[in-house]
Amino acid sequence: MTEAFIYCIAMIFGLAALGTPIAYSILVGAIVYLATKGQDLALAAEQIIQGLFESFVLLAVPLFIVAANIMNAGTISDRLLSFCVALVGRFKGGLGHVNVVASLIFSGMSGSAIADAAGIGKVIIEMMTRNNRYTPGFAAAITAASATIGPIIPPSIPMVLYALVSDSSIGYLFLGGITPGLLMGGVLMAMVAYKAKVHHFESEAPVPLREMPRLTLRAFPALMLPVILLFGIYGGATTPTEAAAVAAAYALVLAGFFYRSLSWKGLYSILLDSSRSSAAVGLVIGGALILNYIVASENIPNQLAGSLQNIEVSPLAFLVGVNVLLLLLGCVLDATTLILVVIPLFIPSCRALGIDLVHFGVVVVVNSMIGLITPPYGILLFVINATTGISLQSIIREVLPFLVVLLIALVVIVLVPEVVLWLPKTVGYHG
Amino acid sequence: MPLLRWLKAGAEFVAVILLAAMFSFFILQIFSRYVLNEPLSWTLEACLITWLWTVFWGCGVLLRDHEHVKFDILYLGAPNRLRRVFALVSAAAVIVAFVTTAPATYDYISFMKIERSSSLKIRLDYIFSIYLLFMAGAVVYYGVRAFRILRTPEFEDRANPEKAE
Repeated sequence: MTEAFIYCIAMIFGLAALGTPIAYSILVGAIVYLATKGQDLALAAEQIIQGLFESFVLLAVPLFIVAANIMNAGTISDRLLSFCVALVGRFKGGLGHVNVVASLIFSGMSGSAIADAAGIGKVIIEMMTRNNRYTPGFAAAITAASATIGPIIPPSIPMVLYALVSDSSIGYLFLGGITPGLLMGGVLMAMVAYKAKVHHFESEAPVPLREMPRLTLRAFPALMLPVILLFGIYGGATTPTEAAAVAAAYALVLAGFFYRSLSWKGLYSILLDSSRSSAAVGLVIGGALILNYIVASENIPNQLAGSLQNIEVSPLAFLVGVNVLLLLLGCVLDATTLILVVIPLFIPSCRALGIDLVHFGVVVVVNSMIGLITPPYGILLFVINATTGISLQSIIREVLPFLVVLLIALVVIVLVPEVVLWLPKTVGYHG
Repeated sequence: MPLLRWLKAGAEFVAVILLAAMFSFFILQIFSRYVLNEPLSWTLEACLITWLWTVFWGCGVLLRDHEHVKFDILYLGAPNRLRRVFALVSAAAVIVAFVTTAPATYDYISFMKIERSSSLKIRLDYIFSIYLLFMAGAVVYYGVRAFRILRTPEFEDRANPEKAE
């Protein structure tokens, strides 16, 4: 580790702590590094431009953002919700279960937890708090907790980012997320059932079975989207990036022509919003590419891997250590930064310790999604607070039990790699 | 000021067109490959160019400070006076770093005129020039921001947690 690198890191952390955008902090830190080393100052620009210009997989990020925004704007979420109410509304704490199931289905279409919470989440919170049936805090908490499933079940923007930094297969990562996502949905529903029993939550009026075919049909085109995505990717028809484009196009056709719920004006503002978010995420990705270049030229990850081998850390101890670290960091950093900036440091150690990179990737993504609801810095809590006006305090108080069960699910996923790996293995993943 | 509003609408229009173009090129690529069975060679490159421009156009011209991914617990928790200092240091760091690297970066990008993109044959200095616009935009934005902080004692900016994930 050179002196230049220490200045660089100090600069990045110092600026980021003051609230400078992460991407700018990294750019400034990188420039300090190049200046101290006496290298060409244009290297920072070169790395960020070439990095963004050459990586084809990254195109999935703006495409998934567009797809999620289109689905939120159309009536797609509403149709899904009435389908879910018919499906699980009749149970005690019905709308809580509806919330989780809707998130599970929606997560098969969108790759973003934020989109999930701000879109379908907002609608269901309104349903839950109408006539004071559920406290706003509880409604917001279960919405935030279930939104974390969004990027676990494919498609998933964080997994695309992980694939970029770890050089592992997006297809296997996506497949690996399915069982853990269902597991997370399961533990959340168990918690809802428990709470419903203790607090005597109401159930929804049962929807007559003869209504089911009509409601299913209404939601059918939307329900087909996850199927199209999975078939596209695993049928070998399309790459995950192409699947992202197909998803966006399908959502557009569905909302625009089929359901006729999207105006030109609406489309314009969706594209504008998506363009802004893509630019913000793109710049952080660019910053991470520069940082990866510096970290690699300092040979940090290999040194870390070497020192871990010297002190003979077992793979399990390493995984537990990384998870604890990520959970702590997740309280104050957001998932994009965690995956792009922190995770690359550990990839060579994983290789040296023989930890499966697909397993590690899913663990990392689950962990960083849990970080989205951990106070004090949980973006999902902020988003719900901003879109519904429910106070942060009440959300945080109610979210804790859900946090606990999600952590239990995480422990299971860490300890039993097969939960992640059995599905990829059935389609020929060898680890 | 109507001029400013007009400029903003124009900048937004460009951002929409860039993303819409990227999306369309991608669909065209899929259509030509899977439906027509005659893959076009230029669509991928067109996607990558529009993606590069989406990022740097958006960040250089459109995005405000609070729209970026950032760690703002300390910033938001600080009293107003300290916040102003934080914001000033941030702005100064970005301006100093970008201004000092501008000549070298300009040299690098203009040197890229010797290369052309592989299928559309566009000179790379044209494609990469958006980065210079991004740097200039950031310097102007943070310059104005620093000026505003110094001018208005009650400078408050809004935090917005809605970021893409």
